[in-house]
Amino acid sequence: MHSKPKILIIDDEEVVLDSCIQILGGESFQVSTALNGSDGLRLVQELQPDLVIVDLKMPGISGFEVLDRLEEIDPTIVMIVITGFATVSSAVDAMKKGAYDFLPKPFSPEEFRIIIRRGLEKRKLILETIMLRHEKELLREHFAHIVSHELKAPLNAVQQNIFALEFELSGVLNEDQKEKLVRIKVRMEDLLKIIDSWLRIISVNIEELEKNFSPIQMTTPIYKALENIETIATRKNVEIVSSFGVKLHPVWGDVLSLSEAFVNIIGNAIQYSRDGSKVIVKAEENGTDILVTIKDFGIGIPKEDLPHIFEGFFRVKSGQAAPTGHGIGLVVSRQIIEAHSGSITVESETGTGTAFYIRLPKYFIEKSNKS
Amino acid sequence: MAKRILIIDDDPDFVAGIKSILDTAGFEVDVAYDPKTGQKELQSQTYDLLLLDIMMGRGAEGVMIARKLRKDAKLREMPVLIITGMREQIAFLFPGEPIHPRFVEVDELVEKPVEPTMLIEKVNALIQAAEVRKALTQ
Ligand SMILES: Nc1ncnc2c1ncn2[C@@H]1O[C@H](COP(=O)(O)OP(=O)(O)OP(=O)(O)O)[C@@H](O)[C@H]1O
Ligand SMILES: [Mg+2]
Repeated sequence: MHSKPKILIIDDEEVVLDSCIQILGGESFQVSTALNGSDGLRLVQELQPDLVIVDLKMPGISGFEVLDRLEEIDPTIVMIVITGFATVSSAVDAMKKGAYDFLPKPFSPEEFRIIIRRGLEKRKLILETIMLRHEKELLREHFAHIVSHELKAPLNAVQQNIFALEFELSGVLNEDQKEKLVRIKVRMEDLLKIIDSWLRIISVNIEELEKNFSPIQMTTPIYKALENIETIATRKNVEIVSSFGVKLHPVWGDVLSLSEAFVNIIGNAIQYSRDGSKVIVKAEENGTDILVTIKDFGIGIPKEDLPHIFEGFFRVKSGQAAPTGHGIGLVVSRQIIEAHSGSITVESETGTGTAFYIRLPKYFIEKSNKS
Repeated sequence: MAKRILIIDDDPDFVAGIKSILDTAGFEVDVAYDPKTGQKELQSQTYDLLLLDIMMGRGAEGVMIARKLRKDAKLREMPVLIITGMREQIAFLFPGEPIHPRFVEVDELVEKPVEPTMLIEKVNALIQAAEVRKALTQ
């Protein structure tokens, strides 16, 4: 809104339009008017106004309808309604349809000016928010780019050359020299893994995800995940016991990202189980949700650590085996599940086992015309 | 006769590490450090395999090459080993698609850095499979 704010007034009474123009007169606004809804909507397309003032009671297209259409054309336009009849209820209805404020007739020039000023401030805020969100998105992508290119590329080149050295010198190096190479290799690998973890977090683009949503069976991503981690389970001799309700109600989501979440959670259950034990994977209807339970009988998580496991880069510091992961799996999973309007919770007891509960709302038709 | 490999990758240091492994393993290796030169080499010479980097220049220029190959009747059957520094980026570039979208009829994907034994295994396997296919169609 660097140029003059654009205001469009739609009212069937010419007197009202004239006095509005007079009140707003001067240089500071670009004011346009229309005598009915359809002319007004045409002007909206043409002018892209910041603020539209609509009389609720007009012949032809009603004010309410104009509000609906405006919302479709550009939801960031600030809408203010003029209510002719002294009923609060129509103003309330208009606000429900997205109007920002209302102006009861008759109104004084001062009242009109105040409401316009407030409306334009609102518009400015809306535009700023959109810009900030956009900037944040750019920054994130930019950051991903920097991390991957400027940081990872050189490390990849270094590691590749170490690989080459080791390969070519395999017959020549003595044990001591070999060990040095291994040390370099291992530390490099750790570094690369950390960068990959960062990339995994910033690559979950929630808004992109939502574009791929469709009604799906919750069991589809679970099967996909189970396929994926079968080998790990076999290697650890962990039996996966699955039980799925027959013909579950569908959910609204994206199979690939959900399966990534399940790979992480079921993978954890296996990883933090004892050899030869069981992991239970269950999917069922639960009220308005589909509930997935993933339960293991492994090492469990200490009570004081439970609140932190979804925070990222957190690993339980319970002596024993050195942690192998980077504490990324659960953050990514939580992000994915929350992008599906779902929730993930955990119950655990050290030495007894852990249960994760994932709830996604059942899908009902009206959701599809949300956007 | 030694098998011929073309590497297209814009990072000379990385290429040095890959090339010397392949040299040691007995392959004859050519390198193109940018997509354009790579295209020219592909048209003027015959290779048994292409090692292709995905992120080059100002974006996923490797994808462009792969897409062109797919439409090229002569080169479509040439095995391509895609080496990418960014598996994650692939998900970014092709949201909703499996991690490895098929670029050409015959391709495979490995992540940078590549272990020598794994690299040689993949390269040999791809070349062999291509030869078997060729023998079958003749
Ligand atoms: N089923 C489980 N049983 C016991 N501890 C668990 C379980 N799931 C998660 N944890 C604990 O929570 C921490 C965070 O898990 P998360 O999956 O985020 O990371 P990670 O497994 O350490 O690494 P990665 O990023 O490779 O998955 C783990 O380090 C572990 O201490
Ligand atoms: Mg994990």
